[in-house]
Amino acid sequence: MTTDLTSHSSPEEKLRRELIPEEAALVARIGVFIVMRWIAIAGILIASLLAAQVFRITFPLLPIYIISACMALYNFVLFLQARGLTAEASGSVPQGLAEPLRRLIPALNHMPKATSPLIEKARVIGNVHVVLDLAALTVLLHFTGGIENPFIFYFVFHVIIAGILLHYRVAYALSGLAILLVILLVGLEYNGVIPHVHLEGFASATLYRQGTYILGIIIALTTCLFGSTYMITHISGEQRRRQREVVVLRERLLSEKTKELEEASKDLAKLKEGRRRLLHFLGIVAHDLKAPLAAVQSYLQLMLGGYSGKLAEKQRHMLERSSYRITELLGLISDLLDISRIEAGYIVQEMEEVSLVQVVQDSLENVRDPAKEKGIRLKVEMPKSLPQIRASGIRLQQTITNLVGNAIKFTPENGVIKLRVTQQTDGLHVEVMDTGVGIAAEELPKIFDDFYRGVDTEKAGTGLGLSIVKRIVEAHGGKIWAESPNPEEKLQRGSKFTFTLPKSLVLNRREKGKQSLTRRRKA
Amino acid sequence: MPKKILVIDDDPDIVDALTMILESGGYQVVTARDGIEALARLKTEKPDLMILDLLMPKMDGFAVMKELEDGRWSKYRDTPILALSSVREEAARRRYELESALELGVDDYVEKPVSPNVLLERVEGLVKKRKSVRSRMDR
Repeated sequence: MTTDLTSHSSPEEKLRRELIPEEAALVARIGVFIVMRWIAIAGILIASLLAAQVFRITFPLLPIYIISACMALYNFVLFLQARGLTAEASGSVPQGLAEPLRRLIPALNHMPKATSPLIEKARVIGNVHVVLDLAALTVLLHFTGGIENPFIFYFVFHVIIAGILLHYRVAYALSGLAILLVILLVGLEYNGVIPHVHLEGFASATLYRQGTYILGIIIALTTCLFGSTYMITHISGEQRRRQREVVVLRERLLSEKTKELEEASKDLAKLKEGRRRLLHFLGIVAHDLKAPLAAVQSYLQLMLGGYSGKLAEKQRHMLERSSYRITELLGLISDLLDISRIEAGYIVQEMEEVSLVQVVQDSLENVRDPAKEKGIRLKVEMPKSLPQIRASGIRLQQTITNLVGNAIKFTPENGVIKLRVTQQTDGLHVEVMDTGVGIAAEELPKIFDDFYRGVDTEKAGTGLGLSIVKRIVEAHGGKIWAESPNPEEKLQRGSKFTFTLPKSLVLNRREKGKQSLTRRRKA
Repeated sequence: MPKKILVIDDDPDIVDALTMILESGGYQVVTARDGIEALARLKTEKPDLMILDLLMPKMDGFAVMKELEDGRWSKYRDTPILALSSVREEAARRRYELESALELGVDDYVEKPVSPNVLLERVEGLVKKRKSVRSRMDR
C-alpha cells in the first residue's frame, strides 16, 4: 500500500491504470450516491414546503434550510473527493487521505485491508458519507417532529448505501449507530432534555411520550435496518466475490497467453536460425558444385580457342557439345539455388526502393543482343515516370529478362515483341507480348510448373525459368498469367504474359534520379 | 618489358587457364593461392595488375582489399585490381559480392568461367590505366 505523500510517480506510472471491476463498480456507486443525495436534498426542501404550505403542518423551516445547506456543502466536498479518486487511479494525485483518516478513526484499522488502495480509500470515504448522513437525518428528524415523522424509516437508505459500499461489519455497525441515534433523539425528547417539535395537524401531540408507540417504532426500525443490512451485504458480498474471480481469471488467461507468446517467439527464433543455416549451407554447396564446373568450362573454352593446338572437326564438335552441357548444368545449379533462396523467403530481405523504369531498361539491355541476332524488334510502352516501388530490383530484372528472353526464343526471325507497363487500380501491370509460336491450350496451365519444358524440348532450358519467375512475382504479392494466342494480335498467334505488382508496393514517390543497379559491362 | 600480372585464386585449374591466356597475350604471370600468399607476392614481385579471386579459403579477396587500405600498402595502392567473381549468377549473391568489391576499390571484374577474349580485353584496359596514371605522375 503506497500512501507516502512524498513519493512521486514517474510519467509512465502516471498513465491511466485500468480499474479492476471491483474498483470501477465502487467508484461508480459513490457517484450514484452523491447524485442521490442531491435528489434527497431537493426532496427534503420540496417535502418541507409542501408540508408547510399545502398540508399546513407547522414546524420550523429555518433549521431545515440550514441543514439542507450543510448537506449540500458536504455533498459538494464529497463530490470533489470522488473526482479525486478517479484522478488518483490514474496516478496524478498523491494518496493523502487514507493515512490521516486511519489515525483519526482507529476503528478503521480493524477493517480487513482492501484488495487495493483505491478500494480502501473508497471505503473510508464511504464511511464518512454515511456517518454524515446519519447525523444529518437525525437532526432533520428532530426539527420535523422526531418520532411523529414517518420519514424516520429513511435510515434504511443509509443502511443500504453502507451495505453496498462498505465492509459488512461496518455496515452492521452503522445500522447500530443509526438505531442508537434514534434512541438518543427520541429518548432525549421523551425526557424533555431537548425540546420536541410537534407537527401540528399531522400527529397527536402526546405521541412522543407514548412509551409503547416509541418501543414499537424502535423495534420496527431495528429489525428493518438490520434485516436490510443482512440482505444487502450478502448480495453485495457475492457480487464482490464474483468481480474478484473475474480478475483472477483474467490474470490466469493473461499468463497463459504470455507463455504461448513466449513459446511462439522461441519457435520463430529457431526457425529463423534454421533458415539462416540452410541458406549458408546452400551457398557453400552451390559454390562447391560450380567451382569445378567453372574450371572445366575454362579449359574447354581454351581448347576451343586453340590454346592447346589445332582441333580436328570431331574434337571441336565434342568440345562444343561438352561446353554447352556444362553451361546448362551451371544454369540449373543457379536456378536450384535461386529457388531455395526464394522459398526460404530471401527475396523479402532484398527489397528496397526501386525504379521500375530503370529495371525495365536494365532488363532490355540484357536481351538486346539476342534480339538483334534474330532481327526481332523490341517495342516498349511505358510512362515516362512511374512511382517508386518497394521490391527486389535484381529479381524483377531477372523476371523481365526471362519473360522477354523466352519471347525472343519462341518468336521466329523478324518478329515483334512488345513490353508494356501500365498503372492500374490494383497496382502496376507488366505485359510481354510476342508474335511467336504461342502455347497450346492444354499446355497453358502447366507452363509455370517446376521443370516444365514444353513440347519442343530442343529449345527448352532447365524448365525452371518460369517457375522461378512465378515465385518471384508471388513473393512480391503479385500474380502472373499467360494467354495464348495473344489477344491483342489480329492474327491468331503469339502469347501474352502479364504480371502484376500490387498497390501495396507502390511508394508515394516518383523516381528521383537514375540509379544503375547493374554494372556497366557484362562478361 | 612485358607487364607482370599477379593471379590469385585457390583453384589451380583456374590459375592454369588464366596463366595460359595471359602468357599468350604476352604478359608475365606470377601466382598466389590465397590472400596471405598474395600480399607476400605483392611485395616481392610488384606486379602491374592483380587478378584477385573474391572467394578463397584462409584469406579471401575482400580481406585482401581491406588489408590494402592500410597505410603499409600505400605503395601498392594504385596497382589496378581485376576481381574474379564466382560463377555467373543473376541473383543477390553475386550482387552482394560485386557491390562489396566495388566499394572496396576493385577496378573491374570478370566472371568465371573465363572467356579468353574478354579477359585479355579487360586486362589490357586496366594495364593501360595504370600506365597513364604513372606517366602523369612522372611529369
